[in-house]
Amino acid sequence: MLSPYRVLDLSNERGMLAGQMLADLGADVIQIEPPGGSSARDEPPFADDTPGSDSSLFWWAYARNKRGITCDLQTAEGQDLIKRLAATADFLLESGAPGEMAGLGLGYDDLAQVNERLVYVSITPWGQDGPRAAWAASDLILMAAGGPLFIAGFPDGAPVRVSVPQAYHHAASDAASAAMIAHMERQRSGQGQYIDVAAVQSVPAATQSGILARPIGEAQPVRAAGGAMMGTLRARIIWPAADGFVSFTFLFGTAVGPFTLRMMQWIHEEGMCTEADRDLDWVGFMGLLASGEITPDEYERIIGVVEAFLATKTKAELFEEAQRRKLLLVPITNIEDVAQSPQLEARGYWHEMERPDGQGAVRLPGPFVRFSNQPIQYRRRAPRLGEHNGEVYGELGIDAAALVDLQAKGAV
Amino acid sequence: MSDTPSAALEDLKVLDLMWVIAGPTATRYLADYGATVVRVESSTRVETGRTIGPFHGGESGAENSALFSNMNTNKFGLTLDLASDEGKAVIKDLVQWADIVSESFSPGAMSRWGLDYETLREIKPELIMLSTSLFGQTGPLSSVAGFGTMGSAISGFVNLAGPADRPPVGPYGAYTDYLAPRFTVCALLAAIDHRNRTGEGTYIDQSQAEAAMHFMSPALLDYTVNGRIQERDSNRDAKRVPHGVYPTLGEDQWVAISVETDDQWDDFCEASFMPALGGNPRFDSFESRKKNEDSLDEIIAAWSAQLTAEEIMQSMQDVGVAAYAVQGSDACFTDPQLQHRGEYVEVDHPTLGKTTVEGSRFHLSRTPAQYNRSAPTFGRDNEFVLKELLGYDDEKITELIIAGALE
Repeated sequence: MLSPYRVLDLSNERGMLAGQMLADLGADVIQIEPPGGSSARDEPPFADDTPGSDSSLFWWAYARNKRGITCDLQTAEGQDLIKRLAATADFLLESGAPGEMAGLGLGYDDLAQVNERLVYVSITPWGQDGPRAAWAASDLILMAAGGPLFIAGFPDGAPVRVSVPQAYHHAASDAASAAMIAHMERQRSGQGQYIDVAAVQSVPAATQSGILARPIGEAQPVRAAGGAMMGTLRARIIWPAADGFVSFTFLFGTAVGPFTLRMMQWIHEEGMCTEADRDLDWVGFMGLLASGEITPDEYERIIGVVEAFLATKTKAELFEEAQRRKLLLVPITNIEDVAQSPQLEARGYWHEMERPDGQGAVRLPGPFVRFSNQPIQYRRRAPRLGEHNGEVYGELGIDAAALVDLQAKGAV
Repeated sequence: MSDTPSAALEDLKVLDLMWVIAGPTATRYLADYGATVVRVESSTRVETGRTIGPFHGGESGAENSALFSNMNTNKFGLTLDLASDEGKAVIKDLVQWADIVSESFSPGAMSRWGLDYETLREIKPELIMLSTSLFGQTGPLSSVAGFGTMGSAISGFVNLAGPADRPPVGPYGAYTDYLAPRFTVCALLAAIDHRNRTGEGTYIDQSQAEAAMHFMSPALLDYTVNGRIQERDSNRDAKRVPHGVYPTLGEDQWVAISVETDDQWDDFCEASFMPALGGNPRFDSFESRKKNEDSLDEIIAAWSAQLTAEEIMQSMQDVGVAAYAVQGSDACFTDPQLQHRGEYVEVDHPTLGKTTVEGSRFHLSRTPAQYNRSAPTFGRDNEFVLKELLGYDDEKITELIIAGALE
């Protein structure tokens, strides 16, 4: 899809998914690292639990489909190389601190002078300016600042994050979206522009608009153990099965009520609830709760009925019947279940590629969409340090002797 | 080349048949940057997004949902009975008009209505059509309909959030619905670029679960390479310690603290004035802090409980240690950085007067997002869409009304 375009990716673990997305779409993405290697190569986990420059699984995932070169941005020669590369590029992605690139003479204003078509994207925790732009950050800190953390967890416990860091992927995937929007405009106007992505403004997506409660005059959402609060009552979503947990949406109304009724019919068939329970008005149930016709105690009793039923079945039994009966129920899977999912297998999701450390092959998560005519291709494993120096700098007209010279100066 | 640039996507036309969260979020990105997005919905079978809060003033109601309003700002609304022949005829005219058709019905629904890609491309060969669903258009689970809470359960996210010794609790809400839209936007615009260069249309099948899993690739590789099944572990981190959420003064008030390097640890000790920590050999290296993390967390929690989240955050950030109050909607609204970024945008609304939505999540220097209209109330833009975009005359519109097709 994007094969005519070139991306310079100067970002590290705070933005690399953006370049991966553009690379998957076919762009020529050049990951640019300092001569000592990107800090993303230090991101855990590591292959065989052994840290090393080619063993970060984070790197394997997010440098995939990119070419890799080294360049020391602190040197005059390195800065000159970036400018020459920028003259050939359509996009530039970077995740330095605000002002860092400009301090090296590689800010947007500098590079727009060599290439007015350049779309230049900066990814930072807090944005380029503002009272807290220079504050320290991490995944957890951003999730705290932007709202998702406060509402995740048990009501009687501390807020919790997803154990696999998420915040910078929210920002990076927004960065890719923003880059594509600016690209469409550039194709018309011939002009690039500067894009400022702040993770703190990307992560509120994970509040499901809950961040708006205050300005629109509703009480702020609170933690509900994976469910949601309906006034003082807690809507339940996560339930124990005989051998683990399932996600079952026990909610009401025109859209969901019929699903809930079908579950109650099943429970009744198995003799685990009364006819009266089964035949409650599941579409209008919120009204019954609001009017007090169903008391909070009665609601809790019904929850108990559903809970007792689900606990008698395995996840697989529940899921099989859920598909047959059209219930809003799926198993809560762990990583192994995901890796062995028959659905993903049937769709040929996983892609096998050579390991960057040369130790055989590895299965990577597959295409994020399926195009009918230009499928996403897995063209390149993540690059080793400086793997494409000769190739990429060669394209700039820098021959082997000149490259040796640049290496001697420490620029690459 | 004009000196005053127009909206980035001003020439892009989208027929949006999507609903709830994952789909509409993607087209909101496009609408903010000038795409003409016509969102089709039924006024009788109310879309679920209108039934999800937060609600204005806490009152539920189809025109009161801030979630719906947030997902659909800047779009035009057309109420239409998709199942009726008259409704389908309108859809086909809109397909002729549109660059992109996007839908998020259960796989197979569009075929049953005779509105599948094969049919629509006969009307418009260069059409770009997107189908987005929980698990994709093919495979044994393709027919499983449902919400992003289910996508997030079955793609492993729910299991990965919570304390290690309790049942999984998951991230808040329909998590995969928040991740998939970014991939949708990129895919759609890449397909437009391809069409502009080649004249070729595209069909796009998106499984929201498959897209979202790119947010956990390292954990998936940890299994395939190392055989390790990563599990939830509260707020613990492989590279950082202390790393957690600690109680502070006040009801349900917490502070998040994240220490990565030994220098930051020294700064943390100095700024926290905790004599039990500085110089204590149990905590003097990353390895020792990791080994004694439980007792370290207890010490910090006892200390933090005497202070406000604000003062801890400030004193830590003063010395460059990553810390932040754990902010709910109330605190976010007064956060100086979020306010500075334009997180909150006020727009006029036909029934609410004014409403607040989230601003664009990123800033484009030359063609910034614009907020020209609120999310549609039922049928608000019927006349505009039918007359201005499709060129229908009054008589034709009246016929549609009489046939009940505009409901």
